[in-house]
Amino acid sequence: MMSLTLEGVVLIGALGLIVIGALGMAISNHLFRMLLALVLAESGANLLIVLSGYRVGASAPILGFGDPTAPMVDPVPQVLVLTAIVIGVGVQALAVALLLKVYRVYGTLNVRELRDRMDADVATAAGVEADASQDAPAGERPLPPVPAHASVGSGGFGRRGPVPFPPQSDERRP
Amino acid sequence: MRNLASLLFAGGLAFLLLTLLSQLAFGTPPMRVGSEILAVAPGEVGAANLVTAILLGYRGFDTLGELAILFAAATAAGVVLGRRRDDARRDPPGGEVLRTGADLLFPLLVVVGFYVIAHGHLTPGGGFQGGVILAAAFFVALLAQPARHLSHGLILWIEGLAGAAFILIGIWALVASGDFLAPLLGPGRMGELLSAGTLPLLSLAIGLKVGAELAGIMAHIADAEAPDT
Amino acid sequence: MISDLAVPNLFVAQAGQLVLPVVLPLLAAFLMQPLARVSTALARGLGPLVLILCAWITAQLWIQLGDAPFTLAIGGFAPPLGILFYADGIALLFALAVPVFALLFWPGSESGGGAGADSRPGSDQADRDQAARRDALVLLLVAATTGLALSGDLFNLYVFYELAAVASFGLVALSGTGRAQVATFRYLMISAFGSVLALAGIAILYMQTGTLNLGQLAQLAPETLNNPIGSAAFALMLIGFGVKAELFPVNTWVPEVYAGAPARVSALLAGLVSKLAVLVIVRLLVLIFPQPEAAQMLLVLGVLGVLTGEFAAWRAKDFPRMLAFSSIGQLGIVFVAFSIGGEIGLLAGLAVALHHLIVKSALFGLAVRWNGSLEALAGAARTSPLGAALFVLFALSLVGVPPLPGFWAKLTVIVGLAERGTPLDITALMSILLVTAVEASYLFRVAIRLYQDNPDPVARHARRDLGVSALLGAVLVAATLGLRPVADVLGAGAAQLGDRAGYIETVFPSHVAGKD
Repeated sequence: MMSLTLEGVVLIGALGLIVIGALGMAISNHLFRMLLALVLAESGANLLIVLSGYRVGASAPILGFGDPTAPMVDPVPQVLVLTAIVIGVGVQALAVALLLKVYRVYGTLNVRELRDRMDADVATAAGVEADASQDAPAGERPLPPVPAHASVGSGGFGRRGPVPFPPQSDERRP
Repeated sequence: MRNLASLLFAGGLAFLLLTLLSQLAFGTPPMRVGSEILAVAPGEVGAANLVTAILLGYRGFDTLGELAILFAAATAAGVVLGRRRDDARRDPPGGEVLRTGADLLFPLLVVVGFYVIAHGHLTPGGGFQGGVILAAAFFVALLAQPARHLSHGLILWIEGLAGAAFILIGIWALVASGDFLAPLLGPGRMGELLSAGTLPLLSLAIGLKVGAELAGIMAHIADAEAPDT
Repeated sequence: MISDLAVPNLFVAQAGQLVLPVVLPLLAAFLMQPLARVSTALARGLGPLVLILCAWITAQLWIQLGDAPFTLAIGGFAPPLGILFYADGIALLFALAVPVFALLFWPGSESGGGAGADSRPGSDQADRDQAARRDALVLLLVAATTGLALSGDLFNLYVFYELAAVASFGLVALSGTGRAQVATFRYLMISAFGSVLALAGIAILYMQTGTLNLGQLAQLAPETLNNPIGSAAFALMLIGFGVKAELFPVNTWVPEVYAGAPARVSALLAGLVSKLAVLVIVRLLVLIFPQPEAAQMLLVLGVLGVLTGEFAAWRAKDFPRMLAFSSIGQLGIVFVAFSIGGEIGLLAGLAVALHHLIVKSALFGLAVRWNGSLEALAGAARTSPLGAALFVLFALSLVGVPPLPGFWAKLTVIVGLAERGTPLDITALMSILLVTAVEASYLFRVAIRLYQDNPDPVARHARRDLGVSALLGAVLVAATLGLRPVADVLGAGAAQLGDRAGYIETVFPSHVAGKD
């Protein structure tokens, strides 16, 4: 069993971040909160990597600073974590872009409302009258019909025009 | 039900990881590869910052992959957000104070960014860190004056050419010495600005590419996020 | 210009050229968008050109060097320090398959337009930008998957895996519908969560061994990783890398993504990318985690995937989703096969995986036009007789009707399971037999519907998609006729793939490198 040293605290923190992040991703019902939970989990994993190279009492792996005979920490995990952080940033930026687009199309990031609106979308595209009770919060208007070419999956890798947005988009803002 | 299952799952995960916690040797890593690199890197690569020596030397190929991931994310964000709607309105410009502050900060941030990039092989820092600072210079300008337009064309050229430069340096090494991304030009004198062979060049390429990439993502998001009301 | 440099060097520096199939697509991808601003024609031709060049380089290397596995230390840094490429027969086979399949399913602008709405004229500049981005993303996907096939470094594998993931997010989002964006976001979250677990697994491995080189990890594994820590690290990495391989608990993204993405992207993801992820898992299993717990984990998750996938496919109401669920089931069989271990297990796994690569890609090729509900396919045989005939051929092989290669692949799995014969194996065997009946039921239901009478059948296939499917069908028939040589080649590949001692020996010749 370990006593509560610095690395013990960091380790518990790292594991805690991963678990909290995983839990947050699983149970939150708002897409942006899911993304934030993911960021937490990624930080936990990054901490774990840095910790894997930590050496008690050693210095940073840069020559020309401090005592040249002192031991240095393992530099490899520091490189790995740099790579992992940059990868994480890229993925998160892309996720934000996706969320912006989703919000622009559906006007919500709440998972339940989103599902209702997507169902209504499909019903409209199929030419079926969407059941009024399907449309989320009472008092809100059903979605305007989405032009067919926006909701029918474009088959191939083909060219596509700019994606049209429902003209009343600002009315649907909560 | 779903929450319960997730709680159980998270509990299981925590338990699994915690049992490991008590068995791993923290603070005394095995350092099989690490200590060997610490021993040979100064002579082979010649960078005082050994992290940079690994990042651009021993694991330079990872770094290329990492650049590609950032590039893929920027490209994918472009795919998702597409082009700016012409009818969208922009945020109103910031006040006098904000604008003046941004104008003052801009050159400072650019200088600091290039400094961090150029000294990546000597001190903590390097292409990624400096590139982010460069991008931040443009963020600040864009936030203070949303009407200002970042040229997508220019960004595309910078990121394309910088990425190509990284690979071409690698191919140059392939032709010259038979190994992709092998260190060239000799290690030089440790601790000088012009040392460590091609490492500073690679740093510069990374810095420009990362800066252009992040600025590009930011410009896309700023374009997309023009509020309607 | 680059090819001028590369070609003469091919005979000088030999293995050094192995990086080019990864690096050249990256170079082309970086330059794609600026080039598109200068000349559309140039940008459009660049991608296929680079792919052909990559395939040619890989083929050359295979012919000249491919008898025994060989390695390439990138940057010239000796093995445990730098990143290593490891090329055995299977790695080279996949490295060759990647550019070829990417060419087959290359997103052409003219012929690729699926629904009529696609050809709607938009802003020219925006369209050209989007096309350049799309080409760049495909090239990035090619570079990443080739890297997955070749890399011999754990973290480098992770980097390429992430690159493949991010590139595929962009490609899935291409279709531009709101549903596709939501599906992409889900996919991204699951994938990123898997990456977190994989990273944690890598960190644990590194703490335990202090190295990332697969060869050195294989050397150290018996003493340092044959314990609960090792098994936990394997579990973490299995889930992490399993996301792309459609492994059971982390495959919930599959149906929505394959249904929402452009069909050719689905073909690449379901056919190619999933197989490369499987290859990574198999390498980990063979080299680093030979303990029985690891194989059992794979077996259980594989069986669950088989059952859930095939039953969901049976209930599916539209063509792409049916293919997606069936793909989960088939990959489940692949996992079951690889969990058997030994040469027969590896052979069986490779056979099912390659068979699925060909058949599922071709079926998704057909789905370019048949992207609607199953009911709408009634009578499609009249407008597209060749397409319907090909579907029947692929369905027969997928179910495993005797002369076709699918039968042999499934038979090898079943024989392998029966030989080992633990209760778990028998359960797996029974479930594979069960789902074969289920597969037959839903695939032939579709086949019958294709040949129904319908006054208003769906549109016919574009010539290119049909050609690609026909080509893959021809490959399938050729494999049927030449089953013995194919089996021999695969057997040799499986032997190489399972040769742990050989891997270590290739990476560290003459054992000087036991540096600890």
